[in-house]
Amino acid sequence: MKRYTAILLGLFILVAISSLSAQDWIRTGTGLGVEKIRLAAPDFKPVTTDTGTQNLAMTFNVTFFNDLQNTGIFDMVSRSFYPLSVPGAPQEVHLSDWGSPPPNASMLAFGNLGVTGGFLNVQGWLYDTKNPQSPQVLGKQYREQANDENARVIAHRFADEIIFRLGGGVPGIAESKLYFVSARGGSKEIWQMDYDGANQKQLTHLGSIALSPHVSPDGTRVAFSGVTKDGWQILMYSLDLNRLVSFPHFGGDNYSPAWSSDGQNIALSSSRTGNTEIYAVSSTGGNLRRLTENKGPDVSPTWNPKTNAQIAWVSGRTGLPQIYTMASDGTNVVRVTDQGYAVSPSWSPNGQFLAFAWVRHYGPGAPGASDIYIMDIASKQWAQLTHDGGRNDFPSWSPDGRHIVFQSNRTGKTQIWTMLADGSEARQLTTSGENSQPNWSFK
Amino acid sequence: MAADVDLFPTEGNLGIPLLSSVLLHVGLFALALFGYLIPVGRGESWGGTTGGGGAMSATLVSSIPLPAPQTQTQNVLANQSKGLTQSPPKEQPKEEPKAIPIPAPEAKRVGPRETTQKKPPPKEVAKVEDNKIPFGEGGPVSGPYGSFSAGGAKGGLSFSGGTGDFGSRFGWYVDGVRRKVSENWLKYEVDPNVDTARRVYVYFEIDRSGAPGNIRVEQSSGVPSLDQSATRALQRIDTFGPLPPEYNGRYVAVEFWFDYKR
Repeated sequence: MKRYTAILLGLFILVAISSLSAQDWIRTGTGLGVEKIRLAAPDFKPVTTDTGTQNLAMTFNVTFFNDLQNTGIFDMVSRSFYPLSVPGAPQEVHLSDWGSPPPNASMLAFGNLGVTGGFLNVQGWLYDTKNPQSPQVLGKQYREQANDENARVIAHRFADEIIFRLGGGVPGIAESKLYFVSARGGSKEIWQMDYDGANQKQLTHLGSIALSPHVSPDGTRVAFSGVTKDGWQILMYSLDLNRLVSFPHFGGDNYSPAWSSDGQNIALSSSRTGNTEIYAVSSTGGNLRRLTENKGPDVSPTWNPKTNAQIAWVSGRTGLPQIYTMASDGTNVVRVTDQGYAVSPSWSPNGQFLAFAWVRHYGPGAPGASDIYIMDIASKQWAQLTHDGGRNDFPSWSPDGRHIVFQSNRTGKTQIWTMLADGSEARQLTTSGENSQPNWSFK
Repeated sequence: MAADVDLFPTEGNLGIPLLSSVLLHVGLFALALFGYLIPVGRGESWGGTTGGGGAMSATLVSSIPLPAPQTQTQNVLANQSKGLTQSPPKEQPKEEPKAIPIPAPEAKRVGPRETTQKKPPPKEVAKVEDNKIPFGEGGPVSGPYGSFSAGGAKGGLSFSGGTGDFGSRFGWYVDGVRRKVSENWLKYEVDPNVDTARRVYVYFEIDRSGAPGNIRVEQSSGVPSLDQSATRALQRIDTFGPLPPEYNGRYVAVEFWFDYKR
């Protein structure tokens, strides 16, 4: 039944991109926004005063603030601008104190937490300071076993709720995971950590070499390539069972598995016929089919996660490796890069961009550095994201399309870094040993 | 000498004057009687039937052709509607404080006479709500978010749906839509030879899941590439985020416009 009646509320918007420079369309296309929401997130008030609560409150508050700051869509209000009285409940809020300078916040996230009966109880609210008539945007309550890990989990969840509401329906990444290769234990193994670098833990214990991890869309399995008695093979690690599960071995050497976003297929490169070519196989290991056929090597496939109808990969058919795209059945091959040395493509979640590592001026006498670039597939416009020297490689998109994780040796050793998808706010996540080939989970 | 004097001589002839007097009175009486009994020169009375012509005549008719009364119209300048605002009561002029005579030292102090004067009940003044503007005082329509312009292009949105208060209740959502549309409009998609164009209007709907749909150009700018860039901006958006759970409608309709100027 149609029950809506039209009443207009006029508001004017800016739909302009001030110039045609690359930075502008990157910012707009990656959803980082041309304007950020000014958000105040004062510490949650502890309602119980024991030491345990104080420690959990500190963990919660630091995690919560960092999650909001890292998302890239908020302009966080400096703590020094906060009013003297910080609210812990709705009746303690004075919106005018927060909505006017110096805080001048558009949104206010606040709440309280306490420990009762061994459980951590957290209440959180999000208020629109510019709308005193109906300020509440969000109100949530959480209850978990009282420990440090759960304080982080609750902070992640509430931050993600806020990001989901204010970020245009794009889920937050605070609960997403990163998978990477670490040699800190002597051999290269697959490791896992939180998106902010916390909770690093080793998954595989092959004692040989494991490379190029790629997690399944449902987050239950990690495919990677490892050295076996049959040579390099695609191996499968179950995150539910915490052990390797069976996956068929193909002939030759097999590398760089990549899940399609529907979880139905895995693309990989295989030399089973002598030359390294791109293949697709169902996620159970059956129905192997060849997608490329030429003399040069074809490696590093990645699916277009928006449609799963295209694959980008690296081909050396013309000499130096370049990025190509094709339909998922191997037709309609299009060369994307036209110079230098381009490797490690990663397709953005919205299907609009390719991120890759590129040495644009490669060869003797060319002072080329390997940097991370992104390219708009439709217009072929590209932009350089890293400028800080070192060798930057293996970019991987975050599920919200606002961040990119990559490896860099700019500080000496190869480590995992993240940055916003416009190249700003680079942060180092790992420090121990050598860490490489990061892959960001689908959610 | 004679004993008496006859002052009034009775002897003489009184018969003739007496007779003429009687005759005169009889004549006067006869004249009066004649005038009454024999009318002389009276004529016909006014309006008499025997007089012939000269009288007005009245004829019975079916209707009287009077001029039609003017139609009653409502005066736009003054009517009996109370409107949203009412004039506050006039302030009573403050009375000058009366000069109080300085009492003589011996004078007996007399307190002021206490009078109980009934105050008239205060007039109720209609409260003016902040979000209502009386007729004629609003000026041009403008949204709460003001207007923006940069790079020579600007645009706007209008929302409709539900009870009509979507924008005021969920300003944060409207703001999110505005941001997302602006983020996804790519100016380089417009023909570089176009410097200016007429305003283009694009209509779309946001369903409960937040997905835009039913996207169509309502009024073309006359520049196909500009129209296409506007619709593509919306087609690029998967979702604006679910509509607020507190909102009951099935969807909200949005009209999006922008002006283009290179």
